[in-house]
Amino acid sequence: MIVTIFQYFAGFLMLLGSAFCLLAAVGILRLPDIYTRMHAASKAGTMGTGLLLTAIAFVAFDGAIILRAIAAFVFLLLTAPVAAHLLARAAFLTGHKPTEMTIINELDIKKLDK
Amino acid sequence: MSSVEFLNLAGTISFGILSLAFFLTIIRIIIGPSLPDRVIALDLLVYIGISYIAVVVIYTGYFLYLDIAIALGLVGFLATVAFARFILHRGKADEPVKKSDKETNS
Amino acid sequence: MNFALGSIVLALIWAAITASFTLLNLILGWAIAFMALWLIRKNLASPVLFSKARKIVALGALFFYELALSAIRVAFLVLMPNMKAQLKPGFIAFPLTAKSDGEITLLANLITLTPGTLSVDVSKDKKVLYVHALSVTDKEALIKSIADGFESKIIEVFK
Repeated sequence: MIVTIFQYFAGFLMLLGSAFCLLAAVGILRLPDIYTRMHAASKAGTMGTGLLLTAIAFVAFDGAIILRAIAAFVFLLLTAPVAAHLLARAAFLTGHKPTEMTIINELDIKKLDK
Repeated sequence: MSSVEFLNLAGTISFGILSLAFFLTIIRIIIGPSLPDRVIALDLLVYIGISYIAVVVIYTGYFLYLDIAIALGLVGFLATVAFARFILHRGKADEPVKKSDKETNS
Repeated sequence: MNFALGSIVLALIWAAITASFTLLNLILGWAIAFMALWLIRKNLASPVLFSKARKIVALGALFFYELALSAIRVAFLVLMPNMKAQLKPGFIAFPLTAKSDGEITLLANLITLTPGTLSVDVSKDKKVLYVHALSVTDKEALIKSIADGFESKIIEVFK
């Protein structure tokens, strides 16, 4: 019985996760500049992949594999923000302008540590 | 519909959705006006690749593929870090790299 | 105390990654963890982890909740037909109360995965964290929400 419920749940998680991946891709295509695109890639992308890895943990029924799926998820959570932060910093320091819709800009390039 | 059938159907649909996401991301890689845009899209491509592997794991039941997903995540992260360093050292966004820039950046 | 706990946790992670929980493998993992920790023995933090466990769990729960919220918000924003009108991006200077490098790193990582914000850089003197936000309707409210939410919790955990 519990196997059936877990399988239904895993299927649901799979659909949700791939939907988030698709939305991240749409966001990367639709948003206007580098910095806003980074929001879509780092958040929706991490969420989608994380949900799919969680779905594996629900169908595995093996302690080692469940732990490994969780480890992969945690690893993803640790690396995704670092990658996004590094890219945003590199883009800003090399002078890639944000979109004209930007309403406030308190970032001063002189105060940053190159 | 039994749970196994539902799982298989969800897997098939997920493959379709992820393929569409893959396609959209590749469009951004092709048209992306600047280098960082393309690097972000490549980063997302790695995530979608990991998602693909996760769906394959559930669809086929070969849990060994999970190791490949972890390894791909590692390589993707290192690639993004390396690309960020590359962008930093490549010079300014608009103008081509001048000699003075090269000296101050390196 | 910190040393022992750290090596046990690392040994468990080793067993999870190599996918076998035999005694021999656990001992091997513990030996490797011990050597790895011995290499960085000078940089280990003060040994108060158990008393902080509840606060760490609270921080983790808050983090997962905010991550889900942020992903859903970005997803809805992307799907809106009039997305450009909703978008008010901007760079904000967030004054840091957190002092140590570890606190700032954790705060920057958490900010990146929460609704509508992405940390870009820290100023030279480590007093200001520059944050990119998707929609800056009220700057003060945004700064206050970060300071009262994550930053105060992180400082509690590290104190």
